[in-house]
Parts: sequence; C-alpha cells; structure tokens
Amino acid sequence: MIRIKKAGLMTTIQDLGRRHYLSQGVPISGAMDDLSAQIANIALGNNANDAVIEFTQSGALFSTEADALLCLSGDGACLKAGTQRLPANRPLFVPSSVELHLENLPSGCRSYLAVAGGWDVPEVLGSRSTYITAKFGGVAGRCIKPNDLLKSTSAISAVTMAIGDGLRGDAINYPKWSIARDLFLPADRKTIRVTCGREFDWFDISSINTFFLQDYTLGRNSNRMGYQLDGQALIRSIQGELHSTAVTPGTIQVTNNGDLILLMADCQTTGGYPRIAQVAAVDLPLCAQLKPGDSINFKEISWKEAEKLYIHQKLDLRKLAFTIGQKHAIT
Amino acid sequence: MMGVKANDLIIYPLSENAVTIEFGNTINETAIGRVMAFDRQLTNKPFAGMYQTVPAYATLTVFFDPMEIVYQNELPGKSCFEKVSGYLKGLTDEHNPGLKVENDMITIPVCYGGKFGTDMEYFTETNRLTVDEVIRMHSESIYKVCMIGFIPGFTYLGGLNPALEIPRKDTPVKVMPGSVGIGGTQTGIYPLETPGGWQIIGRTPLRMFDARRQQPSLLKTGDRVKFEPINFSDFEQYRSEG
Repeated sequence: MIRIKKAGLMTTIQDLGRRHYLSQGVPISGAMDDLSAQIANIALGNNANDAVIEFTQSGALFSTEADALLCLSGDGACLKAGTQRLPANRPLFVPSSVELHLENLPSGCRSYLAVAGGWDVPEVLGSRSTYITAKFGGVAGRCIKPNDLLKSTSAISAVTMAIGDGLRGDAINYPKWSIARDLFLPADRKTIRVTCGREFDWFDISSINTFFLQDYTLGRNSNRMGYQLDGQALIRSIQGELHSTAVTPGTIQVTNNGDLILLMADCQTTGGYPRIAQVAAVDLPLCAQLKPGDSINFKEISWKEAEKLYIHQKLDLRKLAFTIGQKHAIT
Repeated sequence: MMGVKANDLIIYPLSENAVTIEFGNTINETAIGRVMAFDRQLTNKPFAGMYQTVPAYATLTVFFDPMEIVYQNELPGKSCFEKVSGYLKGLTDEHNPGLKVENDMITIPVCYGGKFGTDMEYFTETNRLTVDEVIRMHSESIYKVCMIGFIPGFTYLGGLNPALEIPRKDTPVKVMPGSVGIGGTQTGIYPLETPGGWQIIGRTPLRMFDARRQQPSLLKTGDRVKFEPINFSDFEQYRSEG
C-alpha cells in the first residue's frame, strides 16, 4: 500500500492492455514499454499482465503505508529513498512509512513500478489499463494524483510469497540477483526496426530513401496516442485515397503533408492515412523510452524476422519467469 | 510488401499479431456486405488464438496471440502469418459473397438544431437548405454502420443524402457526447466529449458508449440506423429516464 504525495507528469495504472473491444473502437492501451512492465512483474513472481504504475519522466514522490514488495523497471527514472539509490529490475522489500521518490534519468522517459500481487484497481472491459480519453480503467479513468492510496491485490503467488519471506525485515532489502533487462534490448537503441507497411509503395523512391537514411526527431506533440516524428516530409507517387482500415500500435502513418505519425498504445483502432511501415513489436519499448527532441532512424527487416524476434522475446520472458520460480521453489 | 492472394482477396500482415483481408479497393455496398459476411463466418469458426476482428469499409483485420498459435500448433505453416493466412484462405474458398447477413435496425432519437445543433446555421447557409429540410432529409434515410473507430463507439454511417454533404471543419473544436454530425459524405454520432471536425446538427440523449454495458457501444458495424427527430422536452425526458 502506498500513498502518493507528488504524482509526476503523467502517471497511470497500466497492464498489457485491453484486447477484446477493438471492434467497438476501444484502443488496446496498456504499458507503452511492455517489456519493462513485464520484467517488473516477473521479478516479483507476479503474472506478466498484472497492473503496474507507469511514470512518465517523473518527479513522483510516495510513501509506503505498510510493508511493501516492489520492483521498478524502465529507463525514465531511478528509485531513491532519501539519498540511497535503490536498484531496478529486482525485488525490493520496503518497510512501512518509508518515503520513496523517482529521480529522472537522462536515458529514457518511462518507468514501471510493480507490487507483489499487482496494483488493485477494478477491471474495466477486461483490463486494468487507464484510458484517459474515455475516462475508464486504472484509478477512476484518470491520472494518479496526490493523496491517492494505491493497494495491491491479495492474489499473491507462492513464488512472490517466497521472495517476500527471503527479504522481509526492519529495513529496505533486496537480493543480489537482478534481471538483465539490457539483454532483451538491442545494443543500438537509436535504430528502430520496421517492416514495410501496406502502402509502402505509394511513396516515391527518393522518399523511401529519406525514410531509411534520415534521422527523425520526436516532436513536442507526442503522447500515449501517437508520436509526431519531425524530419523531411515524404512525397507520394500514388495519390489514391485510402479507405479507413485497422491500424495498431507501431503503425507509421504519413499525413497528407508528408509528416510521419507513429501510433502508440492509446491509438485509435482505424485510420485513413497511408501506412509506410510498422515498427517491430520488440522495438516498441525503445520508442516508449523516447523524449521530445530524441532522434531515431529506421531499418527494414522482414515480416518473418519481426515475428521471430517477437516469439523469441516472449519465450525468453517465460523462461525468465520459470527460472525465478525455480529459484524460489519451496523445497 | 508481403501479401497473399486468396481468390480475389489479398491477405497481408498488419503487425506480429494481426493480419488484414482486403476485399477490393472500392467502397460500395457489396464490399461492406462481403466484409460483414466474412466476419460472421470467421467469428462462428475462429482459430485457436484469435481474439478480435475489426471490420472496416473494405477490410477485415483479424487479431490473434502468436504464442497461442505456436503452442496450439494446429495450423500448418512455418510462421504465424502463414498459419493464419492459410486458415483465412481456406475460409474464403467456402466464402459465399452473396450470403446475406441479417442486421439489426436501431432508431436513434435526435434533437436537431437549437443549442445542440451548433453548426446548423452554418449548415443551412452553406447548403442552401432550411432547417426543416435538413431535419427531414437526415431523418428519412436508413444508414448503415460501415465502421467504428476514431474513439470508442464512434460510428461512420453510410447512406447520407448527397444534398447534405458538407466539408469538415479545418480545425477540430470541442464536441459534446451524443452530438450528431456530418463530415464529407458521412454522418455519425460522437459518443464522448472530444475534439471533432464534423459539422454538428443535433444531439441524441442516448448513451452511445458506456464501458459498464456488456456491449459498450450501442451500435456495431453492419447495424442499420434510423434517426427520429425529437423536441427538447422529449430529450429531457429521455435523459431523466437515463
């Protein structure tokens, strides 16, 4: 149980998203950096889909109102108790009445705080994710604000229990092991891998070259719905009108002015702009860590490659959960 | 661009967990009918791992969990895309484009003009019609929900009288929930407060989207819709009845 004192810029509850109402126009939502959200949960023996708190850059401040087993992951901030910097990507036992704050890291934008059992907010349409536009999910469909009291569910796994038992005491405590989050990410975090979109060949050859050779900078007008990518405008060689069709997080649309929009977690379910490319799902967490002014470039991979990367990452996360389970098996 | 031909259709990957079936390149009743019929066929006979379909004007997008597909290992093919597109292609072979889908008919009460129809005056001036003509023309057609998107429960309705076509606003303005608008050749209802670019001619007292309902969106793709003009006191009456 924690009490929020300072909420930070844009702090919401998210899980891995709302998948079953796309046909009614309800976006997927969920953690922008789903890799970090899953790692924070797995480190605690939670389900990968349990609700976490998504902090954006931050400045958040909160205190424990009871003993808590927490885990922070992501690149937006580090967790501190006073001047003591607490490690990320591993379980943290924090006794009651300790004040913790998030200090910005220059390396990224978003951080995820998991709690043993997951944060307890009601499921709306099959998910705990906050969707601000329609004001549902998370804490009453809104951002977290000062004085909010956030509780964990009582659904604690045997693994979580064992992790907690090993760390509980009078002081902040954490194990020697941590999850090597870096191993899930490519060394080059500036290059975003994409597959060709359905309307890729609507663009002339020089525009395709521009797309792959130039850097794009994240614009100010970027949020959970989508990113504005600033760079040289693209020119279409086919002027046909596209009939609105399904889009999904990672879709890169080109507006009539030739500007790029990268759709993110809260994006609308359909769109009418030509789709030049689709960001590989495994590289969306890199995009989630971008701040306005950061630049990226795109590199083409095949659909098969993107699918293989996705499946491997999912298998690696399952192996990781299994290993942590084994490590804490009651013998 | 990787795509698979299936009879006269094209199947292509949208993302790691979605493929789209394209039913030609033109919007017409036939294309929309085929999308709806195929959607019905697929929903009745889903493959393991499939969790949603999103129908649009001339496409049906199928969402699935690749890990489910890998674990179930029921479908032949080397990749999830091959497995899913193979399954969909198999269904298109049995697909009967002439198959008629029975659609629900839903009547939406609308209080036109006045304080709800914030763009009615602009509308009548631009299209050289009287308010009564606008109301009559808008409420005598039967529309079809061609697509849902933009925001939860926002419907794109086809079947607008060409005399009512009007360009969208250059800059979106704040629109109240229930607002009935016209943008280009389409009409629709804004379910939530949002910035919107369509010209607003009235408002319905019905809750078009409610996350607490089993079917949160009042309308679904394929539904037929009729508007029924009501006056302000009817509107208040509907509201008080919730």
